[in-house]
Amino acid sequence: MLNVEKLNKTFKTEGGEVHAVRDVTFQAADGEVVAIIGASGSGKSTLLSLLGLLDAPDTGSIDMNGTQLGNLDAGGRTKYRSRQVGFVFQAFNLIPNLSAKENVKLALEFASWPRTERDTRAEEMLAMVGLDGTKADRRPSKLSGGEQQRVAIARAFSAQPQLILADEPTGSLDKATGQKIVQLLREAANTQHTTVLVVTHDEKVAKQADRRLEIEDGVLTEIA
Amino acid sequence: MNALRRGVRNAFRNATRSVGVIVILAVAIALSISMLAARDAVNNKISSVRSSTGNTITVSPAGFFGGQGGGTALTTTQITVLLNIANVTAVQAQLSERLSSTQTNLTSPTTAGSLGQQFGGGGGFGGGSTTAAVAIRVIGTNSPGNSLVGGANGGGTEKLTSGTAFSPTSSSDVAVVGTTLATKNNLKVGSTFTAWGKTITVVGIYDAGSTFADAEVLMPLATVQKLAAATNEITGASVVVNNVNNVSGAVTAITKKLGTAADVTSTQATVQAQLAPLNTVKTISTYTLFGAVVAAGLILLLSMLMIVRERRREIGVLKALGATNRSVVSQFVAESTTFTVLGAIVGFVIGLLVSSPITSALVSAEGGSSSAPGGFVRGAAGGFGGGGSGFTPPTGAAAAAGRLRFGGISNTITQLHTTASWSTLVFALVAAIVIAGLGSTVAAATITRIRPAEVLRSE
Repeated sequence: MLNVEKLNKTFKTEGGEVHAVRDVTFQAADGEVVAIIGASGSGKSTLLSLLGLLDAPDTGSIDMNGTQLGNLDAGGRTKYRSRQVGFVFQAFNLIPNLSAKENVKLALEFASWPRTERDTRAEEMLAMVGLDGTKADRRPSKLSGGEQQRVAIARAFSAQPQLILADEPTGSLDKATGQKIVQLLREAANTQHTTVLVVTHDEKVAKQADRRLEIEDGVLTEIA
Repeated sequence: MNALRRGVRNAFRNATRSVGVIVILAVAIALSISMLAARDAVNNKISSVRSSTGNTITVSPAGFFGGQGGGTALTTTQITVLLNIANVTAVQAQLSERLSSTQTNLTSPTTAGSLGQQFGGGGGFGGGSTTAAVAIRVIGTNSPGNSLVGGANGGGTEKLTSGTAFSPTSSSDVAVVGTTLATKNNLKVGSTFTAWGKTITVVGIYDAGSTFADAEVLMPLATVQKLAAATNEITGASVVVNNVNNVSGAVTAITKKLGTAADVTSTQATVQAQLAPLNTVKTISTYTLFGAVVAAGLILLLSMLMIVRERRREIGVLKALGATNRSVVSQFVAESTTFTVLGAIVGFVIGLLVSSPITSALVSAEGGSSSAPGGFVRGAAGGFGGGGSGFTPPTGAAAAAGRLRFGGISNTITQLHTTASWSTLVFALVAAIVIAGLGSTVAAATITRIRPAEVLRSE
């Protein structure tokens, strides 16, 4: 269960102070897929960075299954990112000189997954997203955009995190592929009992989520 | 796959760049290996020259030179006290005498010739007609072993071809004779001849490779002093100092002790002048050595900085996925170490191949600009007779020490041999570690400053 209370984040820019996230409060249950809709610059990516502990909030709290993430030190935040959070990016962000399987194993290595189980786990995750053995050994440059995003999803879910943060996961894909990717995220959330937050500006993608939230000028509101 | 393996693998991610970096590093390391080899070779040569030629001081009676001139002989007491001077390790005393035809039954294998006629009156030659045999030179020495392996007697290259040398403290009527003198007089080990009315037994025969030196007789110092009625007289001494750097001080001390009674000379200034080009090469090679290592470090540093900037997003992603700073830094250190190790291996091989020609080129260039004096240079232990009792030119078979008496010194000095020792290999490894360390430092600092949120926000 993710519980976010009155989260605030401001940035100092040449043009003055920007309040990227204002008093954001929401909850998300295990296995729930929540879509966050917003235009460019609305603060949705900043919100994901705060939830993924890539950035620290000015005020507010993030509680993940009873753990106050604000109390974690640098080592604790790194451990949280490696074990409790999975990221799916718009640009996939796979490591180009590693194969699909090695990319998945990378996340398992950072999560200190037992060395002897990494191979099997990576193959399982790639099979879950529909990539067979041949494609598992290909480098990202030899895979299509949709296949690369599948690898990214496999990587994000591999260490059994409690939270998946997907930032415009369909942004670089055609509509049909995008639909499949969202479907895949839904299925993975259900089977792994993982909370999935999908940031998107695509209404069709958002409608596939269990709940929809809208962020505008850093303020988050629930869409009925 | 851990961070180290990823780093090694990343080193080959961009083949063109990897080859470029490795080649540049190899050239820099090869240059530093060559400079190290050149420096070692020059150091060895300098040590060799200094140990063989530069640490001897010649003492002769004032005004006495080459068997000519005048002056009064020094005494055994005057020479013995020189051993008490600081840094003096040995004193080789000698007394040079001549045996005229009335004093010996030996016949010299050398005839007077025109030089004998010119210098015969006051010098070591017999004078008279050009076909007359010259007087036989007898050298009484207290260091026959040294004389026979290179020292007291002029050319200093006498090799015992048969028999033995006599004891340094001997006062027996024995002698070691030169090859041509022995042949001329049918002398063998065990033969006898007469000198100053005494029967002298030949205990050894030497070959110096010089017509003059091979016509001489070596006898115990005490025997010559007794037979020639020259009790306690010394006509020359070679004072050996422990280090060439102490020669100047020893010359001053000897001069102070002997006053105007003796001429005290050394080859230190000459040797130092001749070694100047080598010292310049040593300085150049030292600076180039460190310059090459620093240059290699800078090359790697800039390359790694470029690679880190290029992979900024990837580093952000790794950190977002939960990689620690240490893990990411280790990956890049492994990458830079891979470049360095490969560069060091290639550079080491190239360095070994080119070190000899580079050293020769450096030394030749420096030697060519040196002001080595031509012609004869006064030798340490007797380029002109080691005490003044005869003119003894260096012999053809001379080693470096003997050759140094000629103006062609630089020709000998430039003959350097570079070798690859374990220390060179250790240096290559240490240099590789230093270069990898230098190359990784700034990259590591940059990596730790990269914040994943900033990198991913710019998507």
